Amino acid sequence: MRLLPTIDGPDAAFWQGLRRRQVRVQRCHACGAHRFPATACCAQCRSGERDWVAVAPVGVIETWCVFHRAYFDGLPVPYVVIQVRLDCGVRLYSNPTGVEAHGLRIGMPVEGVFEDVTPDVTLLKFKPRKDA
Amino acid sequence: MIGADCAIAGVGHTTYGKLPEVDAYALGLWALKDALGDAGLGFEDIDGLIVNRIPDYQRFCEIAGINPAYVNITPGQGRFSGICIQTATALIRSGIATTVALVYGNNGRSAGDRYGGAADTYGSGGAGDWFAYGMTSPGAFHALMLRRHIELYGTTPDQLGTIAKTFRDHATLNPSAVMRAPFTLADYHASRWICEPLHLLDYCLINDGGVALIVTSAERARDCRHPPVYVRGYGMATTLAGSTFPPDDFWRGSMRTACARSFEMADVSHADISSLMIYDNFTPTVLFSLEGNGYCGEGESGAFVAEGHLALGARYPTNTSGGHLSESYMQGWALNLEAALQVRGACDGRQVKDCAFVHYMAAAPVVSSIVYGRDPS
Repeated sequence: MRLLPTIDGPDAAFWQGLRRRQVRVQRCHACGAHRFPATACCAQCRSGERDWVAVAPVGVIETWCVFHRAYFDGLPVPYVVIQVRLDCGVRLYSNPTGVEAHGLRIGMPVEGVFEDVTPDVTLLKFKPRKDA
Repeated sequence: MIGADCAIAGVGHTTYGKLPEVDAYALGLWALKDALGDAGLGFEDIDGLIVNRIPDYQRFCEIAGINPAYVNITPGQGRFSGICIQTATALIRSGIATTVALVYGNNGRSAGDRYGGAADTYGSGGAGDWFAYGMTSPGAFHALMLRRHIELYGTTPDQLGTIAKTFRDHATLNPSAVMRAPFTLADYHASRWICEPLHLLDYCLINDGGVALIVTSAERARDCRHPPVYVRGYGMATTLAGSTFPPDDFWRGSMRTACARSFEMADVSHADISSLMIYDNFTPTVLFSLEGNGYCGEGESGAFVAEGHLALGARYPTNTSGGHLSESYMQGWALNLEAALQVRGACDGRQVKDCAFVHYMAAAPVVSSIVYGRDPS
């Protein structure tokens, strides 16, 4: 059984968003900075005022690595982990789809792919953007 | 400038390896007894104590039978060796303590510690958010950084392999090293991937062991058994905001700050440094450290190490003990011990000639730079 994220914790709005094919992150009311995972105050301006907003599920690949040693049941190796910076500024770790490790490059434009892994949990993965 | 006012007066360590019969407390006590004997001091001389990776300071003092005026306990992260050494000098300088014992005990190998998986708390502890994607472990974090370094600067596997091989060559001269069989670059390339682009031989060695350092005033150190190892300069800086992800600058900014502060305090330049001790949890950390501490230019560290500068007999003999990669992963402590032994001239077959200054550096979200000197000024 693979390890699944806690979908009913502080990031519930994010996980509910993925079910609806939306990427939702926190936005600071005071300075407009986006952030994820959820925190009580903005690390840019320290305001506690915030809400959850939908952002464009597009960004670029910043770097990647290939796991050859297994750390989790249900995740067969090798698998690729990518670091993505969304256009809204939020960084995420994820997995690529539709591209092998040797096809990746820094700055490659990517867009979100919503992958339902259980009836409740959807993960956000990324594929290369054809239009960019 | 004024002379250094603090020094390492005693160093001690256990054997390293698989020591299932002793726990972290016993490892720490073993190292502490060794360090006090080395200094010619007794348990009653300790009036400051900072323990690292040992689970509880009170239990440790109970076992050791000591009542130091000042105690502290620090998390089991390697960045804390540099922090503790700098804190010890501050305690001495401020008059809070006169003789500080820094005691490290790690039974990670026998306890089956794994750096990665569901118990992973590397960095800020936010790792759990990413387990579903398989992201875990400090090794993967450094693999991500190395991939960027490769893509930006053309760093090659041969350059990484040279670091691992050089430190292994040094370990063959160190009876305390766990891994002493030399290997070739071909062996390096053939070693299995753990988290690509990192091979097994790019990873440090999880082992059991303990290290203790006795830090005291320069004046008191001069009355101890061995010549003092002066703490000539030090600096720290952090990159903690946003540190769930690798830093864009490979920690160069904070390393520049820490290095400049330590060099100014020690009144030295790179030309004065005899030997380097670089926190080598993974081979790429050595690259980042050389760039951040100004031994080569930005992006030039791969070529720099391939030129052979880190080997014994070359310009900057580095991790002469074998370091974390080949001696044992004692989280910076054994590297600082090796720095002290080099300054004393006590390293036998791996001794750096005319070793006047050793520079310890650690690249991490908290960076440290410490300059040890043979002379007080």
